[in-house]
Amino acid sequence: MQFGIISSMAQILLENVSFSYDKNHNALNNVSLSIEKGEYVAILGHNGSGKSTLAKLLNGLITANSGNMEICGLSPFEKKNLFEIRKKVGVIFQNPDNQLVASIVEDDVAFGPENLGVKRDEIAKRIDFALSSVNMLDFKKSSPTRLSGGQKQRIAIAGVLALQPQVLVLDESTSMLDPRGREEVLSVVKKLNESGVTVIAITHYMDEAVEADKIYVLSGGEVVCSGTPNQVFAEKKALEIAGLELPLSQKIANQLKQNGIPMEQDVLTENSLLEGLCKLL
Amino acid sequence: MQVVVKNLNYTYSKNSKSVAVKALKGINLTIEEGEFFGIIGETGSGKSTFIQHLNGLIKTTKEDCECLKIGEFDLTEKKCNYKKLRSKVGMVFQYPEYQLFAETVEADVMFGLKNCKPEMTEEEKSSAVKKALELVGLNYYEIKDKSPFELSGGQKRRVAIAGVLVLEPEVLILDEPAAGLDPKGKRELLKLLKEIHGKTVKTTVIVSHDMNLIMEECDKVALFHKGNVAKVDAPENIFKDKELVSLCGLKFPLTASLYHALKEKGVSLKTNLKVENFIKAVTEYYKGEQR
Amino acid sequence: MKDVAFGQYFPSNSVIHKMNPAIKLLLAIAFIVAVFLVRAFHFLGFGVCFAFLISVTIIAKIPFSKMLKSIKAILFFIIFSAVIQIFFNKKGTPLWENGFITDVALLNAGYIIVRITLVVLGASLLTFTTSPVELADGIEVLLTPLKLVKFPVHEFALIMSIALRFIPTLLDETDRIIKAQKARGADFESGNVFKRIKALVPVLIPLLISSFRRADELADAMDARCYAGSKNRTRYKKLEVAFKDVFAIIVMAGLITAVVFLNKFNLIPYLAAVV
Repeated sequence: MQFGIISSMAQILLENVSFSYDKNHNALNNVSLSIEKGEYVAILGHNGSGKSTLAKLLNGLITANSGNMEICGLSPFEKKNLFEIRKKVGVIFQNPDNQLVASIVEDDVAFGPENLGVKRDEIAKRIDFALSSVNMLDFKKSSPTRLSGGQKQRIAIAGVLALQPQVLVLDESTSMLDPRGREEVLSVVKKLNESGVTVIAITHYMDEAVEADKIYVLSGGEVVCSGTPNQVFAEKKALEIAGLELPLSQKIANQLKQNGIPMEQDVLTENSLLEGLCKLL
Repeated sequence: MQVVVKNLNYTYSKNSKSVAVKALKGINLTIEEGEFFGIIGETGSGKSTFIQHLNGLIKTTKEDCECLKIGEFDLTEKKCNYKKLRSKVGMVFQYPEYQLFAETVEADVMFGLKNCKPEMTEEEKSSAVKKALELVGLNYYEIKDKSPFELSGGQKRRVAIAGVLVLEPEVLILDEPAAGLDPKGKRELLKLLKEIHGKTVKTTVIVSHDMNLIMEECDKVALFHKGNVAKVDAPENIFKDKELVSLCGLKFPLTASLYHALKEKGVSLKTNLKVENFIKAVTEYYKGEQR
Repeated sequence: MKDVAFGQYFPSNSVIHKMNPAIKLLLAIAFIVAVFLVRAFHFLGFGVCFAFLISVTIIAKIPFSKMLKSIKAILFFIIFSAVIQIFFNKKGTPLWENGFITDVALLNAGYIIVRITLVVLGASLLTFTTSPVELADGIEVLLTPLKLVKFPVHEFALIMSIALRFIPTLLDETDRIIKAQKARGADFESGNVFKRIKALVPVLIPLLISSFRRADELADAMDARCYAGSKNRTRYKKLEVAFKDVFAIIVMAGLITAVVFLNKFNLIPYLAAVV
């Protein structure tokens, strides 16, 4: 801890963090956020808003230029902590093809624990646990090339789970998947979150953010608004600036309200919209 | 140009029986000139195999297909002029920005012209490039000398689409054109496609998993399932067929799933399922109840 | 494109397939040595080698047609070597008066044909029964002693396995780019060699760029999963030496002994003396 001002509750804490790839332009500018253990947090933003930079910052792939950070009680500014931080914060990237190392599923999942120097029988246990957590145990001996996008992405999640992380960062991990693949991945992630893993979902799909505990909206490298989904979706201006759109269900609800139908205040998901409509009609 | 497909079959790895996969099993489909046509279906239902037939990337024979005609082109004929066909039927693949290769945007967009219309003079080519870039909403003078690789993701995609539009195709086929774009980029691209449709492009065919998009934008939709066409109809009729769409493993657009759920509760709405119309129908129903 | 059988691997659950790849690799090398040990015109040794090959092929459940195909691939090379022998070897006596083909040349040509065929069949049998991934593992094991001279065995093995992992992905991508450029009227099938090579530029450049992008992303993903080189790294996969492997070693030792023994029996003493 550099300044000793960090709250003890937060598992991930950023205070006024900036990062730039080149001198003229900050990819992240004075970003502050605090994420608690077990939360499901969505980070929304358009392409180029700095959200992928944030993902890399969170597990020490890059180091901030200024500001204060604490991740799982460790400072990423100290090189000796990086290994420990990467162990605790797993990242799933966008392209399922570009994060699998091995030609056989179990070997790929083993890659992380091998790097940590975990013993062989323990690795075997972790592989079984990780693959069953993502419902892919049957594919242990398969080659990833033959799998669907959603299946590959679940293998990638298993590869990270084998490191026994406390935090899972999804860097647009569903954006290249078809609807079925997206659903598979999201339901696995939800299950993991329920079992206590903190989830940080970086996305531009609004409907993935609807059920989050907390949302941060990034634009031009800055946090333009944050809060619960209800609070954030009420800030239409900020969303517009961020190049985002309300979920369709919210748009329909707003329009109905304008037409004089007394819809309830927070209608966000498809289900809650349906419930609202059923009550009224 | 009208697209007519009768009894089209296709088998992958036909020559080795052990791994042969029947991808298309007797496709029948007609796409009329002027339609904004949608193709939906699960991954592996044969959609992409099908569209690759439409500009001869996968060639067919009389044996496998009764009729595959696009305007005056008969694709079951061995001597079909594919170069000419490909300038009439444009194909934009998923993530088309990955096909960019030239040193400048202008050279990249011009690639198709050099291949298909070598008889054009340099000036004619340049002015065609200018037109294509403007069609996709880019400023020719600002962008023509840039390297395609220094552009933003959204710009790259537009340049790649311009590289297809430069041939002035009458039929434009797009496979998941908005994949990977953020909401704003997606909205802008769709607006663009709508604008282009009716200019040089007369028929647009979109393959997509985004049911809301298909519901909202398309005049007609073909539903693919396991290598067959399960149904061709207006989107509202497709999505009102609850059993069929579920059987084909697809999700519903939001309005359609609300429609079905409300129907189960005894509320029958009169709507064509387009968002605006749906809101109107709900409003009217509510006001009718109040009275 | 994904379905294109890559390498020659012919999946099956035979005992040969299940052998330790490192040992299989060693035995394949031993077999080639055995073939080369057979002295000129001591054809009995070749007979034993053929018998061995045929038995292994049957045990491994590899169709003979597959084996024949692998010879077909280098048929030209075999014929070429044989023809050179026949026309340019002047040892021995001409087959007919003032003829230019000698008996030694003809036999030598036969000797070479059999030798090459045996070597090729032996190597094919290895690749038919061992997947590329296993082969890479086997090579890694065999290279392990090189660690003593600071050869980066682990890194080398990782590079091999990543290359194997990405071959199907890149084949797929190549297919996609070719189609995308074809849709823009690119022509890869006509014109002279120079033209065809030039036509590949619009495929190779996007492919290269995407490979770099993939490499970049993969490096990030590996870093994120705590990759830090071979230091303190454990290995999940263990190549065990089972009874079948030991048995195979014994058989191979027997084969080599037999070849050496049969070298004593010269079938054509006169010709052997000429050589």
